[in-house]
Formats: sequence, structure tokens, C-alpha cells
Amino acid sequence: MLEVKVKILNNAGLHTRPAATIVKLAAKYIADFFIYKDGFMVNGKSIIGVMTLAAEKGSELTLNFNGEDEQEASREIVDFFNRGFDEV
Amino acid sequence: MLVNDKYIIQKKNITVEFFYTELKSKFGLKLLSRKVGFDRLITDKNLHRPGLALAGFVELFSFNRVQVFGNSEIKYLNSLKLKERIKSLKTIFNFEIPCIIFTENNKPSKECIELANRKKVPLFGMSYQTTKCNYFLSDFLDDQFSPRISLHGSFVDVYGVGMMFIGKSGIGKSEVALDLVERGHRLVADDVVIFTKKGEGIIIGSGTDLVKHFMEVRGIGIIDVRGMFGVRSIRFQKRLEIIIELEIWDDNANYTRTGLERQTVDLMGIDIPYVKLPILPGKNLTVVSEIIALNYLLKHYGYDAAKVLKSRLTKKIKKKTEEVKRVVDYFEHDFE
Repeated sequence: MLEVKVKILNNAGLHTRPAATIVKLAAKYIADFFIYKDGFMVNGKSIIGVMTLAAEKGSELTLNFNGEDEQEASREIVDFFNRGFDEV
Repeated sequence: MLVNDKYIIQKKNITVEFFYTELKSKFGLKLLSRKVGFDRLITDKNLHRPGLALAGFVELFSFNRVQVFGNSEIKYLNSLKLKERIKSLKTIFNFEIPCIIFTENNKPSKECIELANRKKVPLFGMSYQTTKCNYFLSDFLDDQFSPRISLHGSFVDVYGVGMMFIGKSGIGKSEVALDLVERGHRLVADDVVIFTKKGEGIIIGSGTDLVKHFMEVRGIGIIDVRGMFGVRSIRFQKRLEIIIELEIWDDNANYTRTGLERQTVDLMGIDIPYVKLPILPGKNLTVVSEIIALNYLLKHYGYDAAKVLKSRLTKKIKKKTEEVKRVVDYFEHDFE
């Protein structure tokens, strides 16, 4: 299991477009992917779940990867967060 | 197994401001003092009648609770002379109390309001009888301080039985939920379900305010179940009664065959009946889910099919009959 803390960097926050990208990226991997925000947990492979977070700029999320390809999954998804969803 | 206790959310406190804004519209809570001390914290879900404290006995005074002034507190204060009344009120205002509620439209005296404003303790009024106030306030605080957890899955009311479908992403939870809705059952929430422990032994689930009855169907996108199927296809809350885990058939897993053993999972300290449902070609999960719900209802009303067949078998073994008999032993010339 792998846990990584990330921050939302872009102004618009985690809105629909990045949410869709995240679930698409996550779906490529076998590893389970969960996102935690203020103790609230959602499945990172579900678009409704990720949108539920309504994470605004500056909010902190914990990404949890669990499965055989967790390394690769975390690398790609964490990178997408750190790029500010390509909106910064 | 399915929930890590680490992710149970439980509020440690609420502000008096939150308490007031929530109850203003729900139970007509009125502000009787100036708008002071709204940042005070309520840390206890219990209420307190401070009769003894007003009389001067402050040992074990639960000052951190919401204080309720009913008729007896008011009558007692009114029976005192002004000086004694102020002294009595000062006794409790010297403690860090979060706020005071006056029930049955009782009004605080002038001295009480002055003291409250000075000490920055807000006073509120309610019109209900004290016992009713206690009931409403306790229920509200109980809910605020109750543990809750969010789970990933689809929550559906099937014949009045609250069924939560869990399982890996993309296994078809939403599709089962949609199929059940199509057959007249009601969706509570899809994807993110928040479960709240209510009292002892009850868990209530509901969706989130953002998503409500929207769901994602792979390959189609986001749909609104309420908009599509109407108000009869949804509900906002439901007691959790069964958890069903969908999984790809596993040759090594041990699936129940008789249903005599009752499997449960622990969710926030409460045992919830649990069924592991393997997915196989030709297996209609919707119908199976309905059957699980109906069987649950039958068991709930005292009829357990597995037990009935078991006792029939035991009886038959005792009788030592050799042959397998038909259910009808003579057809009475009925050749239809």
C-alpha cells in the first residue's frame, strides 16, 4: 500500500475535467485507488466519487494506492496533481 | 475488512452558532440575549437541567453541556429575592457553559440577560414543553456527534430492505442498482454513501448533497435517476440492513450453500448481515438481490427456509423411511 499527500494547485480546483482525467488514469491500473479529504473517503476510480470531494484550490488530499501496479499508478496520478491538472 | 476504523468521522464539537442556525429553522429556536458567545463550543451530546447548581450545589455540575431551563428552574429563580437570584445565577455563569435554552416560552429575567451578555453566554428560547425540547435537542445533538463513514457502492431500497452493494470498481454495482430501479425499487445513493450510526444498533445511509441521485453508468456517463424515473424511484435515507459484495467467481472462495450460517460484517461496531455474491454468466443479479431481500423479510418475520428444510430432514431421518416419496402420493384421476 502506498499513501501520498497532494495539494490542489490550480485556481478552478478539482472540477469535472480533471476529475474525468483522474478516473481515466486510475482505470488503467489494477491497483485500488482511494482519495481521502478531511477523513472523507471516495473511490478514485469513480467520477461521481471524485467530484463529491469538491476540492478547492489549496485543499490537501491523501491518495491511497493498493495493488500490484501501485507504483506506476501513483507516479502517473501524483504527477497529474503536481502539474496542477495542466491548468497552472 | 471493508472499513478501516481510521476513516470513521466523528465531530468533537459544534459551535453555538451552528447549533443556533440549524435549530432556528428546524425547531424555531429564538435568540433571547444579545448575539454573544456564538463561538462557544458544544462538546457533549447530553443536556443538563441545572436545578441543583442553581441551588448552590456545583459538585459534579455538567457545565460543558447545553443547559435547559424548564419550568422548575424558572419557578425556583422567581421564588428567590433579587439578591439571592443574582447570586444563584452567578453560580452557574461562573462556569464555562456553552448556552442556555429556555423552554415553554419562558423568558429569562432582566438580571439573567444582563449577566449572560456580560459573561458572553447566549440565551435561547423554545416554545415546546421541556420534555419535547429535550427530545428534539437530544436527537439533534446525538446525530451531530454520531460516528459516520463514507463507503463506495450503491445503496438501494429493495422491498423496504436497505441493501448496500459493494465491490471493485467497474464490477457492475451501478448497473444492478439501475436494474433494480427499473423494476420499481428505490435508489438511495450511488457511488458515495454516507453511513451514520444512529442510537445503538442502527445505521442510516444517505447520499451527499452534491450528488444526490446522480450516477455514472460506464459508457454512457452521468445520468439523473430522479429526473429519469421520477420521484417514486428514489429516497433520501434508509436503514442499512444487508451488505452485498459482488465479486468475480473465485474457485477458492467458500460460498454459502444452505444459508444456515449467518454471515455478518462489523460496521462502526454494529454487525450487519453480509452476503458475498459471485458473478457468473447467466446469473441475474437483480433477481438474486430481490430474493435476498425477500428471504431477509421472511426471516425477519420468523420463517427461515433453510431451518425449515433442515428440521424436515432431521424428522425424516428419524422415521427411517427408505424411499424418496412424491409430494402427492395419489393423483386422484387428475391427469392434467
